[in-house]
Amino acid sequence: MGEVNLVDYTKFRLKPAEEIREVFKGVGKIFILYCRKCYKKFEEDRVEEFDELLDILGEDSQKIVGSLGVDFLCNDFLSKKKISSLDLSICDSVGVISCGLGVQFVAQTLEGELVYTLADSLPQSGNSTSEVGYHGISLEKEKCCGCSQCYLNLTGGICPLINCPKGLLNGPCGGAKNGKCEVNPDLDCAWEKIYERVKKQGRKLILESPQIRDYSKPPLKLQKDLSLQNQTFRDESFYGGFHPLEKKEETEEKRVESFPEPKIVTIFLSQHTGKKAKPLVKPGDKIRVGQKIGEADGFISSPVHSSISGKVISLKEEIHPLSLKKDLAVTVENDGENKFDSSIKPGKDFENLPKDGLLKMIREKGIVGLGGAMFPTYVKLSPPKPIDTLIINGCECEPYLNSDNRMMIEHPKEIFTGISIVEKILGVKKIFIGVEDNKLEALTILKSSPHKSSSVEVASLKTKYPQGAEKMLIKRITGREVPEKGLPLDVGVIVLNVATVFAIYEAIMKGIPLIQRVVTVSGDGAIKPGNYLMKMGTPFKEIVEYSFGNKGEELFKEYELKMGGPLMGTSQLSLNSGIIKGTTGLTLLRKFPVEASEERECIRCGRCVEVCPMELYPLYYAFYGKRGEWEKGIEYQVENCIECGCCEFICSSKISLLGFIKKEKEYAHNSNKA
Amino acid sequence: MLITQIKPEEEILPKISLKRLFIIECPGCEEVYFPAEDVERFINRLKEEIIGRVSLDYLCNREFVKEYLRYYSKKIEEAEAVLVFSCGVGVQIVSSLLEDKPVYTACDTLYLKGFQGLRVQDFDCDQCGECYLNYTGGICPLTNCPKGLLNGACGGAKDGKCEVDPEADCAWILIYERLKKSGKLGILKKVLSPRNYQKIITESLSREEVKR
Repeated sequence: MGEVNLVDYTKFRLKPAEEIREVFKGVGKIFILYCRKCYKKFEEDRVEEFDELLDILGEDSQKIVGSLGVDFLCNDFLSKKKISSLDLSICDSVGVISCGLGVQFVAQTLEGELVYTLADSLPQSGNSTSEVGYHGISLEKEKCCGCSQCYLNLTGGICPLINCPKGLLNGPCGGAKNGKCEVNPDLDCAWEKIYERVKKQGRKLILESPQIRDYSKPPLKLQKDLSLQNQTFRDESFYGGFHPLEKKEETEEKRVESFPEPKIVTIFLSQHTGKKAKPLVKPGDKIRVGQKIGEADGFISSPVHSSISGKVISLKEEIHPLSLKKDLAVTVENDGENKFDSSIKPGKDFENLPKDGLLKMIREKGIVGLGGAMFPTYVKLSPPKPIDTLIINGCECEPYLNSDNRMMIEHPKEIFTGISIVEKILGVKKIFIGVEDNKLEALTILKSSPHKSSSVEVASLKTKYPQGAEKMLIKRITGREVPEKGLPLDVGVIVLNVATVFAIYEAIMKGIPLIQRVVTVSGDGAIKPGNYLMKMGTPFKEIVEYSFGNKGEELFKEYELKMGGPLMGTSQLSLNSGIIKGTTGLTLLRKFPVEASEERECIRCGRCVEVCPMELYPLYYAFYGKRGEWEKGIEYQVENCIECGCCEFICSSKISLLGFIKKEKEYAHNSNKA
Repeated sequence: MLITQIKPEEEILPKISLKRLFIIECPGCEEVYFPAEDVERFINRLKEEIIGRVSLDYLCNREFVKEYLRYYSKKIEEAEAVLVFSCGVGVQIVSSLLEDKPVYTACDTLYLKGFQGLRVQDFDCDQCGECYLNYTGGICPLTNCPKGLLNGACGGAKDGKCEVDPEADCAWILIYERLKKSGKLGILKKVLSPRNYQKIITESLSREEVKR
């Protein structure tokens, strides 16, 4: 593909030098805020207008006591935070280099201060009748003036308002010479182009009645309503995020079923954050259901148990479904007898067990966070800081997934008992269950459950991705903000997934270690979608055969298989891996029929900034990533990224931002160690 | 960014050929506004005549659209017309790439304040090319006063509200209050020169030149 011509839609330029000098005559000490621009090819991280300003001012530039470049100054939410953190007490005025939006925003924020604009906006319409012309998200030369009475059906898809300097709606003025406009001979006559286009389409130019532009359109009221609607919709609950197609209907009402007994299971020894478990078995060993096959190695680690009974056939490295790297796994052949290990005994009443005993059991039974992160639960429940609030996460904001939803619908009693166990361990006063308001059934059942104790409050949250991310959840429910690089316990909160609470119940009350979990299997072309109770290690191959038909590895040609949901899930490379403790779902996604043949350049459209719930500036991760400057990620706080994938989803240039982010995070992690 | 609305059926249906339609939807400005339900209703009316329907994002990106159209070229060839649900930019791009095929739009496009930049805002910038904000306390008289007056209030405001839109505040009263707060009422004595509409033409044309 050849060089793509992108229009530079920079929105402002510096005011003429005389005007700037004039402004500076009345200024004592000034602080300069400048916008880092939008809608232009992102080629260099520098704003030349500021340097130009210094040139124009000469000696007067000493009046500048400070300056700050802000990305997307008109983003009121983020820029307000930046501006209010500035100490402007030493200056008598603030100068702004940006388009009119940025200047007005700063003037509004710093009401009472003297705010000067040092830039003029740059017109875009190229036409005297419609004063404005708006480009799309991409930087093409086609524009639209938003007249709200589109004429393109009549004119063969060429806009007369934008392309004819006179904005004529009923044919040419007659002034064109050799097909060129009389107003500007560089331009083609729009009406001649329209005539040619319509002729090519085999249509006649239909002008049965004269067209008259209705300048009362769009009605002010409509514009206001839509603005308000847009603002509230965007800013629900927290800044950023977005509303993906939920696609939950397919499995929403499917009761949890047991998945057919797997022929073999591949159980990884690393199914948790921290050190891999030490294997306790060797090939040839006969083992039973629930028998410990891997021992926790260190404080942050967790034991692993067998989910079936049978013979260990191998202890070798397989592709881990999360890290996608080779990792040690125990493969067991099922003897179909389902003989339980002697260690599985129903527990006593938890009320009579001491806190330490409960914690020890949670550790021994291999309980880890089932939301996907797989952090050992007993470590989480032994916080080094005081905790006053427990939040149970039942948001499940990922599209397609319903495993947590079904747990809440089918097992409220077990969940509430699990909560009581955790309540006893932590001694917390306030407990919330956060559920998105698209799960009405679960909300109703939890709220009206007779097992709900008075200390538990069920919170219905607006549906927006990623509401289920810990930090968003805490902010929404308690109003507290987890500090940068901090943990929930820094603000006195612990967050547990509903499935984890259920696993705690099973471990304490029934003595069953974490050997099975509910997994939602769904997606494009699923024959038997559903919510299945699966044994750990059930190979993806068997699940694909059962639910998606006998496609085998052929599957990868047309589809993408993700462990988890479409947004945060890990794209699988092989069908030999198996279910791990953090598998919330298996989602089959048909590949987008048209693959972008190459990655487009960033055009600073700012959409990634607008959706980042962590209030970061993801465009820089790609910008510096492409140059291999991984260390720059730290400067832009890459460590705070929660990898929710919002930025990559929305990117108008289809840049694989997460790839860059992961590498930058790794770099940051390594440099922290060193 | 621009917002789309579905045209009234009675406006569009009689004007377009309704046989063998290929439909392209663009939910590209995700999170901005796409009238998905209205689109569904509209398409349902035409159900019988639809031979293909795809949802493709960022129709305003010519390079993407070229690839999309190449992929669907067979289907599009069979169609008598292509019906696009997108903003005016998307429709113009699709029709410029399918020159000999009638391309229709089912949408009207409008613009919301603040979309010149990133988010919907309470204020707007009209790209006049000669920013007046230094004289008006940072409140734009062009976009906030429906009459676009540059040298003070028209006198029609009642109780601080605009006579054109009684729900809106009078921009010039806001300007007065803002300047008073910063003790700079004297600025109002300056008479602003009439707006130079020439700038719209010359400056935006120079932008095109920069590009090529």
